[in-house]
Amino acid sequence: MIHQQPEKIIELARTSVGYKGKAKSDKVVKSDISVYALKGELVAIIGENGVGKSTLLRTIAGFQPPISGDIRICGKPISRYREKDLALLMSFVSTEIIRVSNLSVFDLVSLGRYPHTNWFGKLLEEDMNMIEEAISSVGLRGYENRMVNHLSDGERQKVMIARTLAQNTDIIVLDEPTAFLDLSNKYEIVHILHRLASDKGKTILFSTHDLTTAIAESDRLWLMLHESVEQGAPEDLILNGNFNAIFQNKNIYFDQEKGDFRILKQTKLTACVTGEGLPLNWTIKALVRNGFEVVDSANQSTIQITVNYPHWTVTHLAELLKFDSLLSLCGYLKGLEN
Amino acid sequence: MTEAAANKNHNNTRAIRVLVILSFLLPLFFLLDLLIGSYYITISEILKAIFHSENANSQVLLIINQFRVPKAITAILAGAALSIAGLQMQTVFRNPLAGPYILGVSSGASLGVALLVLGTGGLLGGSIVSVASSWGIVAAAWIGSGLILILIILISSRIKEIMTILILGLLISSAISSIVNILQYFSNESMLKSFVIWTMGSLGSVTNVQLAVLLPSVLIGILIAFFSSKFLDAFLLGENYARSMGMNIRFARMMVFLSTAILAGSITAFCGPIGFIGIAVPHIARMALQTAKHSLLVPATILIGALMMLVSDIISQLPGSEKTLPVNSVTALLGIPIVIWIIIRNKNSNRL
Repeated sequence: MIHQQPEKIIELARTSVGYKGKAKSDKVVKSDISVYALKGELVAIIGENGVGKSTLLRTIAGFQPPISGDIRICGKPISRYREKDLALLMSFVSTEIIRVSNLSVFDLVSLGRYPHTNWFGKLLEEDMNMIEEAISSVGLRGYENRMVNHLSDGERQKVMIARTLAQNTDIIVLDEPTAFLDLSNKYEIVHILHRLASDKGKTILFSTHDLTTAIAESDRLWLMLHESVEQGAPEDLILNGNFNAIFQNKNIYFDQEKGDFRILKQTKLTACVTGEGLPLNWTIKALVRNGFEVVDSANQSTIQITVNYPHWTVTHLAELLKFDSLLSLCGYLKGLEN
Repeated sequence: MTEAAANKNHNNTRAIRVLVILSFLLPLFFLLDLLIGSYYITISEILKAIFHSENANSQVLLIINQFRVPKAITAILAGAALSIAGLQMQTVFRNPLAGPYILGVSSGASLGVALLVLGTGGLLGGSIVSVASSWGIVAAAWIGSGLILILIILISSRIKEIMTILILGLLISSAISSIVNILQYFSNESMLKSFVIWTMGSLGSVTNVQLAVLLPSVLIGILIAFFSSKFLDAFLLGENYARSMGMNIRFARMMVFLSTAILAGSITAFCGPIGFIGIAVPHIARMALQTAKHSLLVPATILIGALMMLVSDIISQLPGSEKTLPVNSVTALLGIPIVIWIIIRNKNSNRL
């Protein structure tokens, strides 16, 4: 079955991004980027520090021109937009924390109406409604008169997102929106973005280091590797092994079965563990953390551990030891390594 | 009316109330400023001189019309102009310690004056007093600050990063100050004294004729600031955000720099460099109004700046004595405690 190809809202074709210098001294940060985003997609940009995520986002947001190649926003090259027209299509949230005192949540969100209001920024009824709706859709109703610099990091980031909603653009670009946040706020922010993309049909582009939330919530990943930039559904990139390429030469790998990240450790000793359920799983985690390789057969292993929660029995060199917490067990194991 | 709209109105009532109170205080302090001076004049005589001048004592009339009214109006203009210039610089550079002179406008003016007072004096040999009187100084200062303005606008159209402009402004100021120092070093005592007196600032040397030039200049500068209030709001979030919301950065910067240079340049030309008002007043306005919106901050800053300058002038008259203080020292002594307070408060992470 052939279905209609949806509109490519953002499209990069063999684009190079970086910083323009004097004749021929352009500093190219990333070249040959060919990716796109469709209407209503939440797109996460993933890659190591320094690989050029921010530069790419700044270029897409129109703050700096691409070195070569083209960026098309709604089918039109970005260089052909005037600032004001681009602001009606695309809004931006940077990594910078806004610390302006005496600036209320309402006033900050109302700045989003900037490209829609007259020379003096007068807010009409329609603007008011839009600001109010933006504030409630990030769950901050009742915060209108609070001062921005008295908010928590998570609340402040929601205000910045509300400002982009007040700007009422089809595209929202966010540079590491979850960088300063705790775990629950990370999930909440990315979930808000997901909802905005799927319910309101916005195309949302964000960079992040938080791979777990990116995999769970985004429709498409732009994976920025050292040699290339790959795109696909998160699951595609995991299955075809591209995901592991992020961690080249690093002691980290993505466990394709368990769906999370592991640190490669130099294992010196082996252990055979018997037991069941959650206590067994967490005992194995503790052993791995302490540099043990967990093996199946008691014959091959240095030590044998039996889990009988809340007790652990260790057999080592014909010696039998009992522990009643993983902390004390780990303390004993640390001594063995040396 | 929606809930958010109601909230917003509630938020603005405080600001509007403060603005109303300030506009009542201003004429009060204007009258008080007229009242105080080395020659004792009663309130009824002042009111008579203003409203029924045909019945008034001719000597009182002369003092009021030729000296005290122009001085009080100059105080209002100077306070308003410097404060608005400071507000714009603090917002654009997102720096609480920025002031009207940060672009180097006043050092440009002082170079002009120094060249006139110290330089031509050296060439013409002693006849400086006539050359340096009023219009000559005004013209020299204006040309000096105008040249700096052109330089800053040229720089700002080529340089993207706003902080670089700030640093260049400071460097240009320092370089010009060194030139002024060299001029001072090679000038004789009487020339030096007339230059130093100019640097102390004075509201009293502006004549009615000069006011006819100063008043429209300040009004133009303030008008531009009013028209920039939406730009200034956007500048609060930094230039990246401002651009992402559709602001034309170069145009907005030019409006703000033009207004600042006209305001700071004109006041420096007519009154000399008057310090600290321009740094302190915008903070008082923000605290009093509890808002960051420039459509409210601009009028509040004008009113508070004018009031502060009238108060400084009253203090500099040393009520009850024959002597007066240089107004620059008074504004410094009033402004510095406020700036210290800003710095201490700023440690708790607030930026503006």
